[in-house]
Amino acid sequence: MTFSADRPTMIEFKDVHKYYGDYHALRGINGTIKAGEFFSLLGPSGCGKTTLLRTIAGFEDISSGVVMIDGKDMAGVPANVRPTNMVFQSYAIFPHMSVAENVGFGLRRDPRSKAEKAQAVAEALEMVGLKGYGNRAAHALSGGQRQRVALARALILKPKVLLLDEPLSALDKKMREHMQVELIKLQRQVGITFILVTHDQEEALVMSDRIAVMFEGEIAQLADPETLYRRPATRKVADFIGTMNFIPAEILSESGDKVEVEAKGLGRATLDISQAPARTGETPVVGLRPETLTLLYDGQPAAERETEGVIDEVIYFGDMTYYDVYLGGTDVEVRLSMRNVPGRPVLEVGAKVRVAWSPQALVLFR
Amino acid sequence: MKQGTGLGVYAVIYLVFLYAPILILPVFALNDSQVVAFPLKGFTTRWFGEMWADANLRSALLRSLVIAFSTATIATILGLFAARASVRYRFPGKPAAMGLIMLPMVLPDIVVAMALLIVLLSLSVPLSMLTIIMGHVLLCMPFAVAILTSAFQSLDRSLEEAALDLGESRAATFRLIILPLVMPGIIASFLICFTISIDEFVLANFLGSGKPVLSVYIFGQFRFPAKVPSMLALGTLLVLFSIILLGIAEYFRRRGVAKAGGKDSGGFL
Repeated sequence: MTFSADRPTMIEFKDVHKYYGDYHALRGINGTIKAGEFFSLLGPSGCGKTTLLRTIAGFEDISSGVVMIDGKDMAGVPANVRPTNMVFQSYAIFPHMSVAENVGFGLRRDPRSKAEKAQAVAEALEMVGLKGYGNRAAHALSGGQRQRVALARALILKPKVLLLDEPLSALDKKMREHMQVELIKLQRQVGITFILVTHDQEEALVMSDRIAVMFEGEIAQLADPETLYRRPATRKVADFIGTMNFIPAEILSESGDKVEVEAKGLGRATLDISQAPARTGETPVVGLRPETLTLLYDGQPAAERETEGVIDEVIYFGDMTYYDVYLGGTDVEVRLSMRNVPGRPVLEVGAKVRVAWSPQALVLFR
Repeated sequence: MKQGTGLGVYAVIYLVFLYAPILILPVFALNDSQVVAFPLKGFTTRWFGEMWADANLRSALLRSLVIAFSTATIATILGLFAARASVRYRFPGKPAAMGLIMLPMVLPDIVVAMALLIVLLSLSVPLSMLTIIMGHVLLCMPFAVAILTSAFQSLDRSLEEAALDLGESRAATFRLIILPLVMPGIIASFLICFTISIDEFVLANFLGSGKPVLSVYIFGQFRFPAKVPSMLALGTLLVLFSIILLGIAEYFRRRGVAKAGGKDSGGFL
């Protein structure tokens, strides 16, 4: 991760609310996005992430609150004078124009000479890997090419912020993964703040310096990908990002920076306070990622703790095998993933196993 | 199979009844006889010449062209506003407003004609080409709105936002993006309104002054048997003209839909 916290602030939200009639689409958004950051707004459909992006672009008025870009309050500033450019979900390529006319559209008011503008268009096309495509008709391009044109068209204006509204959702899996890497490279190359809207948690984890996870018009957690994955702030965030096992637990004591819990099937464990995010009033559970659990083979000692279990389900993925395991004598089932390495045969349903785990990998939701 | 044959015969008979009378027009327009009756006498083009020599007919044609051109222009411009509002904006009373605009499509022309005539006379508005244009605009609006709505619907909203986002003003966005992309719809709307207006009879007869437009003039000429063949010649030209105009309109409508990347959802041809 290239993000560093000492960068200047590019965008700031202060208690932003948005109503559509009675519908409360944004419910008090606060947060900052740093200059040069690759930032993602992640959440399920209808969570307000696109609405928030559009308030930055100036396509949506906010009902109350403040949106600042580069230190300036954007209230009353129309979209066409904001220092932002957008790559639309549909790409919005002008179908009646050539590729070069599309890319050069934003330069119409630029005082530079025709030759200089043509040069800028050619450079922008080269940057997105479409060198020599200028004279093609825009409506004859493939999905991936359209997206590159949309990128070139937005970046040619050297905006302070590039807004990307689910730009990869229309591409097939291979193309999507390819474009993820290209976008990261492009962002490092141009150094512009990128804000990506996506519902794909994997995409957000791969691409972002920081991610804001949104549910129902609120930011549930704003953090870097690793923190988000390892220390989700709520059970809902944990459930949305990757896979997590939730095990019923009882809080035995809480003193200073330690919390002692009794987790069903695992036993007692002492957690650091950093593993126990703020209370949300839920029934206490501890969360464990599948890859933090390991099956021990005969004679292998556990590094920290171990517990007995019985395999209930085996899901073979080639490089990995997922096991669903009942923890010793309980109805608690956890999923764990094991790499398939030579000398370790895939186990069968019903096999009695020992499961190794680490108290440091636990997160307590309460 | 038998059932299929029966339906086929029915379809053929249906089409013959529908279109055969129109074929009578060119047949008798080229027949060398004043009497419209079989057997045919011989081939001639003199009825076309006679038609063109008629000064009253030429001025009636001119009036009709002026009316049709004005009607098509006004209806298309108003239709542009209505279609844009109906596709893009939400406002109170929208269903009612759109319903009222589309209503003349199903109202009997004679009812509209009578109502307008009564209102105009009671307001002591003198009947003229202007009053006919007003009536025709009313009649053409549903068609203009239907065509232009389909043009606006196939326009991706983010195209407009993209142009704004790239720094253009709203006016420039309309001129550079929206107008070129709905232009095929505008042309189609203009041509169809023009065609509707030029052969409209009821309103033109009710709302016109003493100087007849083409359709009214043709009807008047049918009282004189000697004039009938030249009117058939005129009719022949009008049929050809209408087919060409509708063909052009449909071409532009389809091209517009294809250009905006939409799927074709029916049309007039």
